[in-house]
Order: sequence, then C-alpha cells, then structure tokens
Amino acid sequence: MASADQLAAQIQASKGLCVSPAWVNNFLASNAQRNIPASALTKTAIFRILASDIRESLSPNPTSVFPANIFDPNIRERHLQGPIPVQVLDIEDIGASLWSQVEAIERVERGEAIRGREIVRTISVGEDQEAADNNSTANYTTGALNTPGSGGGPHRLVLQDANGQRAVAVEMHNIEGLSIEKLSIGAKLVLRNALVARGMILLHPACATLLGGKIEALDRPWKEGRKARILERISAVGAEAS
Amino acid sequence: MARKVLCVAEKPAIARAVATHLSGGSFQTHAIRGNKYVKNYEFDFNFGGPWGNCSVTVTSVLGHLTGLDFERQYKGWLSCPPGALFEAPVKEEVDKDKLPIAENIRNQAKYSKALFIWTDCDREGEHIGTEVLNQAKSGNNRIEVKRAKFSNTERAHVLRAAREPIDLDEHQANAVAARIELDLRIGAAFTRLQTLQLQAVVAVLKEKVISYGSCQFPTLGFVVDRYLRVKNFKPETFWSIKVMLQREGKKVNFLWKRVHLFDRAAVTMMLERCLVAKEAKVTKVNQKPKSKWRPLPLTTVDLQMMGSRYLRMDSQTVMKVAEALYTKGFISYPRTETDQFDKAIDLQKLVEKQYPDSAWGQYARDLIEGKFRTPRSGRHNDQAHPPIHPVSWVSPSSLNANEKKVYEFVVRRFLACCSEDAKGQGTEIEIQYGDETFHANGLIVLERNYLDVYVYDKWESSQQLPTFEKGELFEPTEANIAEGKTTAPSFLTEPELIGLMDANGIGTDATMAEHIAKIKEREYVVVHKRGSGRNAVEELIPTRLGIALVEGYDNVVAGLPNSISLSKPFLRKEMESRMLEICSGTKTRQEVVQQSLDMYREVFIHTQRRIEMLKTACRKYLVDEATG
Repeated sequence: MASADQLAAQIQASKGLCVSPAWVNNFLASNAQRNIPASALTKTAIFRILASDIRESLSPNPTSVFPANIFDPNIRERHLQGPIPVQVLDIEDIGASLWSQVEAIERVERGEAIRGREIVRTISVGEDQEAADNNSTANYTTGALNTPGSGGGPHRLVLQDANGQRAVAVEMHNIEGLSIEKLSIGAKLVLRNALVARGMILLHPACATLLGGKIEALDRPWKEGRKARILERISAVGAEAS
Repeated sequence: MARKVLCVAEKPAIARAVATHLSGGSFQTHAIRGNKYVKNYEFDFNFGGPWGNCSVTVTSVLGHLTGLDFERQYKGWLSCPPGALFEAPVKEEVDKDKLPIAENIRNQAKYSKALFIWTDCDREGEHIGTEVLNQAKSGNNRIEVKRAKFSNTERAHVLRAAREPIDLDEHQANAVAARIELDLRIGAAFTRLQTLQLQAVVAVLKEKVISYGSCQFPTLGFVVDRYLRVKNFKPETFWSIKVMLQREGKKVNFLWKRVHLFDRAAVTMMLERCLVAKEAKVTKVNQKPKSKWRPLPLTTVDLQMMGSRYLRMDSQTVMKVAEALYTKGFISYPRTETDQFDKAIDLQKLVEKQYPDSAWGQYARDLIEGKFRTPRSGRHNDQAHPPIHPVSWVSPSSLNANEKKVYEFVVRRFLACCSEDAKGQGTEIEIQYGDETFHANGLIVLERNYLDVYVYDKWESSQQLPTFEKGELFEPTEANIAEGKTTAPSFLTEPELIGLMDANGIGTDATMAEHIAKIKEREYVVVHKRGSGRNAVEELIPTRLGIALVEGYDNVVAGLPNSISLSKPFLRKEMESRMLEICSGTKTRQEVVQQSLDMYREVFIHTQRRIEMLKTACRKYLVDEATG
C-alpha cells in the first residue's frame, strides 16, 4: 500500500501537480479496501484530479499560484516561475467574429454538421478551386481565415489557480488540443516559466502543458449557454455603437 | 427499290442539319399535316455496312412526345385528398398538340426497314428516343432501331455518326421516366396541399397556385438562406497591426499573419511587444516562379456561371443562345459535365478553324506555329459529350448580339485551354517582429500567354519589392494598429446560385437554369439591380411568400429527429443520386420510385400534421408584416 507522501510525490513528478494532503488522504481512504497496484492507483488519482476542482484537490503553495496582482495592466512584462497548475474557466476564439461563431453554432443546431448533411453555402465564382489552390496567390492561410469550427484561434482563456484567483491568457502560438470543440471547461494546464504582459499570460507550447480533463458541473452549463452568451455580447456591442 | 430508313431528331433544326449533311444539300421537303414546325426531308444516302444505299426520311419531334398525368378522376383539385396522389394511378399519353407528330412517325415507320434515332445524346434525349421508338413500333412492329451518337452538327461528325450507329440506352431512359413520375406525384401532392391550405388563410393568396417542386424549393432555400444571413448580420470591430518600411524610395507594407483579431487589448499588447523588440528580423526570402493556370475545358455549369458573370445574361438566356449556336453547327453540344478533352479529338484542327477571325485569328495562328499546349484535364467525364468548344468559325456579322458574346466566350475559352499558363516571378518576404510574423508579397508577370486571349481573367504585377536578405535586421518605419469592421455577405447572385446548386447536388447541369427561372416566375424571388453600368450586379431577393414558405417548412420539421426540411437540398440530392443508380443499372426504375416516394411521403405526413406552422409563417409575412 502506497503512502500518501509517495503518491503525492509521484503525481508531482509526473504531472507537476502539488496535490493537497487532505485530498490524498481522502482518496486513499476511499480506495483502501481495494487492493490496487501502486501504478494503477497513481493513474486513478491523476484522473480524479483532472476531473476535480483544483481549489479542492491541490495545495496553493506560494510558488504554484498566481501573484496577487497578476492582472495589473501597468506591468509591461514579468515571468512566472511556476510550475503553476491552472484550470480553464472560459475559452473564446478571438480570431473569429462573434457572429460567425453564432452562425457556426446554428449550423450544428440544424443538423448540418452531420456527415452527408453539410450544405455548401459559399462558392467562389470565376476562379476554379484547383487553380486557386495551386497558384498560391493566397498562401497565408492562418487561423484568421477562420473557417468556423476549424478551431481557428488564437484563443483567449480565463484561467484559475488553486487559490481560486483568475487570470486572462492569450494563445500566442497554436497549442495542440486548445480549441472550443476539443477543450472542456475545467481542463487543466501547467504553466512553467510563462510570460505575463499587461496582465495577460502569454501561452506557448513551451510554457504551457495541457493535461486535459474537465469539470462536468461547469462544462455542461458553459456549452449550453454559449450561444446565449455570445448573442448577449453582440447586442451589447450593438448598443455601444448606436 | 432501296431500303427505307427513318431518322428522327429532337428538334426541327437538327433534322434539317442532319438532312443537309447526309444529302449533301439536295433534299425534298414535305410539310406534315397538323404541325407547321415539323418537316420531312427526303433524299438518298449510303450508310455503308449492312444498310448500304437507302432512301432516307429525316423528321423530328418537338422535345417530349408524351406527358404523364393522373387518371381523370384524380385530376380535380378536390377530387381526392392530396396525399392520395402518392399512389393514384397515372398514365402516359401523347400530348394533344403532338398527336400529328406521333402520327407522322407511325406512318413513316410503316414503310421503313429501320428507325434511326437522332435525339440529343443525354438522358432526356434517350427518353425522347424511347418515345419515338414506341410510336414507330406501333406503326411497324418489325422495324430495326439504331441511335446516332453525336455531340455537334458539324458535317464530318454527322456523317460519321450516321455510319457508326449504336443502341439506345434503356437505363438512361428509365431514369428520366422515374424522374418524371416522381416530379408529377410529389409536385402535385405538395402543391395541392399547400395551395388549398394557404389559400384559406391569407387573402392575397386566394386566387394563387402555390406550386411546389422538389428542385425549386431547395433552390429557393439558398436564396432565402443568404437573404436572412444578410439581414441578420451584425457588424463587429476588429483590429490589426500594420508594419511599413521605407527602403530604396519605396514603401513596403507588411501584412500581419494573424490578419486581424477581435480583441483590442490582445492586439495592443502584441503591438507593444513588437515596438519593444525594436528590430524586425527577415526570416524568409523566397523567390519562386509562379504561374496562373489556364482554365479547364468548359462545362455547362461553368458556361452558365461565367455567362451570367462576364456576359451579363441570365443563365437561361446563356443556355438558349448556346443551344442556338449548337443547332447552327458553330459550337458543340452545350449540355455537358465533361471537363477533359478526349485524346482522339484533333484540337489543332479546331484551332485552325479560327484563323479567319479578325480578333483572335492571329492568336490561333501563333498557337499552331508552336505555342499549342495540350489542355489541362479536369476530373469530370459524363461519357457522353466533350467539353463545350467551337466546331467551326462564324463571321460575327452573321450572329446577333447575344450569340456573338457567347460564341466569343466559347472560342476564347477554348483557345485559352490550348495555351500555355501565364508565368511570373513571385517574391515572398517574411519577418519576425516581437512575437509576431508579417509578410510582404511581390509578383512580376513575365509571360501573359493565355491571358492574351482569355480577357476574362486578371493577373497583374504588383509593386516591386526592394532587396532583403535573410537574417538581416531592420527597424520598421511605422507600426500601428488599424481598425476595421466586418461586413455582411451580399445577396445571392445567379452565378453563385448555380455554383451552390451544383456543389449541393441539386438539378442537373441542364435543368438548373430552368429551376431558377421557375422560382422567379412563381414570384418566390425577384431580381434587384445593385450599382450601375459595368459594375451592376443582379441580386436575387426572396419575396415575403418565398421567405414564408421556407420558414414554414423549416418549422414543420424543427425538432423532429432525422427529418429534413424541403427547403434543404438533401432529399432532392438523394433522389438525383438514385437516378444515377438507374443509369448504371444497379437499381430499377420501380425501386427508385418507391424509395423516393417513401422518403417524401414521410415529410408530407409531417407537413399535414403540422400545417399550422406553414400557416403561421404565411400569416406572419403576408398579413402581419405586410400591413405593419
């Protein structure tokens, strides 16, 4: 039977997560009857942590949480040593307009995302596609071309540390798995040596490790309410403009 | 006495062209009783082979001979519940005005050893061929039947078709028969249902027939879909970073790889990181040859799209004009999906025929004197017709204005296909500035090649870029944030609509133009002109009735699992793909008719049950909004 300390050390070593003693003890107690090999136990623990709220499962050590003034826009640039485990509370595609995202959601609602039920809605007249592709006149295909649903990006995220403090992060370079379709709310990331500029954490593959996971209680309402939230923001923008 | 052969074409003009070529120009013309368009042309011709020298009569029909309709007791609008039309007995009968033509064929067949069918070589033509065959057999049961395979009415081509006959393709004829039955049953059932129900609700519809067609509705669906996207659109602000460098007296503008973002704070932060970095680093200097590809061989869909875009004619007019040019023997058959030329076609000879032209004759000559290239091949081949191409040269003075435009387009497109791609030199500079990447592109057009004759394509040199070296550092002259707004899409144009119909698999290339004309005629859409002069664009806008029908049918199936609205292309697309299965022989006509009727019957039942949805939508748009 693995001790609480051993288990915590293993989790720290493999995932950079500093698990709280109370959570580990509780976890071991609930698995005490069953004779589970140590390696499987570690795996189960990690799986549980990824599905948990890190405010409950992790220890907020001074080095593994955000500084209190992380959002301060007056600070041009600083480093966060870390590692800082965080969970995703919100994700947004800032490469696509809100309206195009609403249209994409509605396409899914109408069943047009199902294979064989796609509808072609735009067509370029006067340029045969094959030639257009090969002539490479428009070679800079970036996230900004944002075919809705392709994951587009870059993304802006709201992250939360083990203390419950929130911060905004911007995906400066494409991070595998970071998209509205693939990422769940409550997914965990570990930040190591990340830069913060004007209160925004700059995400690169080198400084952000995506562990995955989700918090079911947050993820479902977030997905269900997404269209309503976007529509609300659009009408807020409209009201500002008029 | 020589054997007698009866030739029957799809239209009088083709009959005349065939007679002219086979007879060498001397034939006798006889009027037929009861129809002033159809003539019988008589002469002798040596078919060679087993038939040898024959006395020939060439005549024609006027499109389809027969029509399909319900038995008399189902014809009245109130004679049966509309749903009964899915099973009600139907019969095929010769149209009243075609009776004299049918009689002519029966009479001629009596004295003929063989029937030689010269209908157009496509699905519809195959079906018309079987109609002709049925009449001929009822006049002479033992008549031998052959079919001519041709795709234009140029002399040598017609002569070869006469000497190398093939058999009628029953599968294709069956596919058309299935389509006709489905269109009749589904069209009549929904038309009666919606007309009877909606007339009772809205006063302005009292006297109106609200017709339904399984192609028309998805076509209308596209127009309404785009209209609503335009109307519902909400503009939003975006921000981008612009970087400019002055070098060698030139201003080089670098474009941001992210193009623009919808978050001002993030863009501001990114710009600051550029400015703090001070110097940009050149990460890529690419010089590479670029080419703009000559167009693919011309298909019907392309002709209609280009026609309405560059020639300022609607697609139906383009097709009518092309049809006339084909009948007169100037261009090949204009209904084709094929975008690859068969190796057997002597393209150079076709190019040579254009020598006399004052506008592109010299270009044609240059091609033959060394610049000729084998055309690119597309991915489509309908196995029936070559791509649309000029068959012979015609002096512009003997064409009317529209014919001139379409003929010129077909010729220029063909010559462009046989030309070299346009060549240029492209330069691509990429820089890293802060965390951001920017690029500048330059292009020098070196050889215009096909562009010289294909005046519809544009490809021009850009400003020349100054010299950059990979790895060099420089401080940009300016870097700042630019603000912009998203703009709504524009209303649908006809060429776009054709493209959408094609891409979504509704309508065959031959019928698309008709469906568009139908929804205009039914007052489901109207055409608005935007802009003026050369920049004028004709846009398709749905009427209130058009929007009401689409919204109504969408609401009928809303929330039902697996039910598809009639305003969407899928049901029709599925039906069309089943037609192809009949053509390839993997499904029978009866199977396809039953399966497709089942599919539409399900939607019909939903529509009946939830007819309130349709009524509500009509009230909303035709009563409330019209008066409000």
